[in-house]
Amino acid sequence: MSLGNARPLVSVYTEKNEPAKGKNICLPAVFKAPIRPDVVNEVHQLLRRNNRQAYAVSELAGHQTSAESWGTGRAVARIPRVRGGGTHRSGQGAFGNMCRGGRMFAPTKTFRRWHRKVNVNQRRYALVSAIAASGVPALVQSKGHVIDGVSEFPLVVSDEVQKVQKTKQAVIFLRRLKIWADIQKRANNWLLYWWCTSRSASVLAVVPCATVARIARRGPLVVYDKDEGLRQAFRNIPGIETINVDKLNLLKLAPGGHVGRFVIWTESAFARLNDLFGTWKKPSTLKKGYNLPQPKMANTDLSRLLKSEEIRKVLRDPRKRVFRSVRRLNPLTNVRQLIKLNPYAEVLKRRAALAAEKRTVAKVLAKAKKQNVDLAKSHFANVATKAAANRAKLLAARKKKVAAKKPAAKK
Amino acid sequence: MATSSHLNWLIIRNNNAFLLKKRDVKKPFSTEPNNLASVSSYRYSGIVHKKTLGVVPAADKKGFTAVLKKGKYAQRPAKNTVRVDFKAGPRRSLKKLKNLLIGSKYRKDLTQAALRRASAVLRSQKPAPVKGKKAEFAKGKKPE
Repeated sequence: MSLGNARPLVSVYTEKNEPAKGKNICLPAVFKAPIRPDVVNEVHQLLRRNNRQAYAVSELAGHQTSAESWGTGRAVARIPRVRGGGTHRSGQGAFGNMCRGGRMFAPTKTFRRWHRKVNVNQRRYALVSAIAASGVPALVQSKGHVIDGVSEFPLVVSDEVQKVQKTKQAVIFLRRLKIWADIQKRANNWLLYWWCTSRSASVLAVVPCATVARIARRGPLVVYDKDEGLRQAFRNIPGIETINVDKLNLLKLAPGGHVGRFVIWTESAFARLNDLFGTWKKPSTLKKGYNLPQPKMANTDLSRLLKSEEIRKVLRDPRKRVFRSVRRLNPLTNVRQLIKLNPYAEVLKRRAALAAEKRTVAKVLAKAKKQNVDLAKSHFANVATKAAANRAKLLAARKKKVAAKKPAAKK
Repeated sequence: MATSSHLNWLIIRNNNAFLLKKRDVKKPFSTEPNNLASVSSYRYSGIVHKKTLGVVPAADKKGFTAVLKKGKYAQRPAKNTVRVDFKAGPRRSLKKLKNLLIGSKYRKDLTQAALRRASAVLRSQKPAPVKGKKAEFAKGKKPE
């Protein structure tokens, strides 16, 4: 299943947060465009530079003196020194960037490259990405917007909103659509922000959390098609911004270069998106020769891909056997290991041990006989001879039994 | 729209409003509402998935509430959360939560984390034990 083929309908909400009947709009193709945070970030940081104001230090700064070097031989550095006498300034170093009152190193000039050219296709790619991301609740949430009560994403409202004249009406509208929570979150910050930006640095040094307030949080963005009072009605609400669909701006759609701004579309603005950006099948009618960029992956659901028949078929089965490393023992020192390699070694060893015992026993008995000593019954030599005799008896008995059984088995 | 939880995660992984990095802590934290481990990771993310799970103290601070996200209404935040209260004592509540998660196969991977969080919530609701001589006195022992 590719999500690209699904054509979900988006409902249009009235000012009372009810879906308007029979007014469903087919989701514009832009919302299925690839979301490329890298492109958005890059383009944003280039576009961001375009509204900078030129600045530079004065051309003359640090050079408004007739200083000249004293040359060698006066046991001071050869830096140019201010001429004359009678003031403290005379004889002080001048011009150099290391001197007090000298010019800075490489003084800034107004003819810096303040602006950046961005290819139009890249700009559009970024814009399209940002719009697509604004339709994903997860991404909007990740930007910190409070959207728990919002009815639907993308949020489309009826064109009545464009006719709102008063801020009071706008606030009621925002409250009804449960957008107010987001604005409130921002409003607290904005109050702090304005408070902080209007005060001197020395005051701010004392105030905690002032650094947080240096950044003005953005609330929702209202995108309209026709301004019939909407802009003025909304402009005094902290954090909220309004913009025309035909003038969509990446700086507003992805503040900070990160996608996922909370966007509220009016119905007619929403309906215009297909004309603006095209639908893959049909190129844009408002931008010459433009169509949406192709996504690199049709399906980005990794777990689904890995579970799919086609991929499963190509992959080999998992290796479930556990390979344990074998400990190598020295058979020369380790008897068990020796027996493992050469089972007959056990017999040899046993035989050798028995023979050795036999020999010692014989020696002991011989010695006792020579010295004419009677060994105790419990002496190991006596025990061993008895045990040997027993063993021989048992062996003989077993042999007999086997011999008796064999002919019986033959019958 | 054509996004998946994996893509969402890749987009927000390095930059989101809930990311909390601390000095000398290698794994970043997350302050999301539905993050059971408060750790910024794909599994515990309370944002990117179709189904998420959160455990919070109940409104009256007796027992806990499981916050579930319905996958069906992914595009409709107002409709997609379900809250289930568990107030029948710790043993029963924890068992019920476990049954709910395992029985419905709702994010099996989060079961253990959810139970851990739920018991942490329950523990926090116990009255704090009074230590020292005061406690002994309260028990009826005479101060020496």
